[in-house]
Amino acid sequence: MSLLVGNGLTHWFGRELALEGVDLVIDTGEHMAVLGDNGAGKTTLLRILATVLRPTSGQLEIAGLNAFRERRRLRHHVGYVAHATGLYPALTAAENLEFFCDLQDVSRTRVEEALDAVGLTRVARRRAGELSRGMQQRLSIARAILHEPRLLILDEPDASLGDDAAELLTQVMKDKTVVLATHDHALANRLCPRTLVLRHGRSHGTATRLRVVR
Amino acid sequence: MNPFRVALAVARKDIRSEWRTREMVPALAQFIVLALLIGNFGFHIDARNAPAIAPGILWLALVFAGLVAFGRTFAAEREQASLEAMLMTPASPVAIFAGKAIAASLLLVICEAVLLPALTLFFGTPFTGDVVAAVLLATVGMAALGVMFAAIVARVRARELLLPLLTLPLWIPFIVAGGQAVQSAMGLPGSYDQAIGLLIDFDILFVVLTSLAARFVLEE
Repeated sequence: MSLLVGNGLTHWFGRELALEGVDLVIDTGEHMAVLGDNGAGKTTLLRILATVLRPTSGQLEIAGLNAFRERRRLRHHVGYVAHATGLYPALTAAENLEFFCDLQDVSRTRVEEALDAVGLTRVARRRAGELSRGMQQRLSIARAILHEPRLLILDEPDASLGDDAAELLTQVMKDKTVVLATHDHALANRLCPRTLVLRHGRSHGTATRLRVVR
Repeated sequence: MNPFRVALAVARKDIRSEWRTREMVPALAQFIVLALLIGNFGFHIDARNAPAIAPGILWLALVFAGLVAFGRTFAAEREQASLEAMLMTPASPVAIFAGKAIAASLLLVICEAVLLPALTLFFGTPFTGDVVAAVLLATVGMAALGVMFAAIVARVRARELLLPLLTLPLWIPFIVAGGQAVQSAMGLPGSYDQAIGLLIDFDILFVVLTSLAARFVLEE
């Protein structure tokens, strides 16, 4: 069953075309990687799928709901890890997550579980601003899974995670539908059976265990 | 989802961050004391003209401190990219806006707690409940407008320039009514009750208007 259906997703930034007519269907439980060079439109596509950005044209349905008309309802089901971590540096790791528990309307008992899932339990009481970049990235992943979303959208989450990125992401992605943008083709092949290749904002098709030729 | 819980969580988070970083309050308190010092030396103040001059200096200091306090509310969120994370939750944008406004108002109230006794110290004007009530009532509406414009200009590069240009004209009613209330509380002629009534009307009007606009301002 399809969890996400996008038709003709197009986005213009002023006069610049960032994404042109991308169609995609992602089934429940499926993991799909989005590959492409810098400026290919990966982040634009992911921001649209996360309902952060409204496309200039095109339709998007997630879990049977219109992604833009019913955006607030959908946000119970979507977790998004963006490029920037978006953490509060003066708050501790646990306080950052507690704050988002209040906003997500989930129990604060989830904080411990989320920190444990990303291996940050020992730094729970340290301020986010004092954590390394990799730890901050883990914390932003923990924030994205706090409310146990059905759809997880990860924009280059491996960028500063280090050697155990694949292991951590495998753990986090278990039992979820995932769209993952990355530059690391090996990681994409390892984590995602399906791949979408973007070039200059256009989809160059999807494939299974794609061997990407530049 | 309970919007009050969201607003309180946002306000608590902002106040906790400020408490730990102490970025704003010490600087604003210092600014306020300096403004009063300049006012004290810039005018020839005596017991006769102090009630006429002191309210003007009070509102000048308050307006500029407010611009700084409210300007930072969304600028910091944008710089950290945390506003997007907040808006990705199912929380109502109106509740998020209310939480930011509550936190910014509390910061300004802390500054007022420095400003009002210092005003009495420098100008010898009475420090009464009526003066405090007028200033607090003006703070509510000024915070609602200031935080809304801060949210609008946060995504613009020239936000420091735009915020006063947009906010000051709409703060004028608060400065006029608040100034009149403070002057009459300090013994000058004028109806205190009428000025306070106006302040309450303006508070209701602008709190309702900014709450209605918050969703569009934050989400688009």
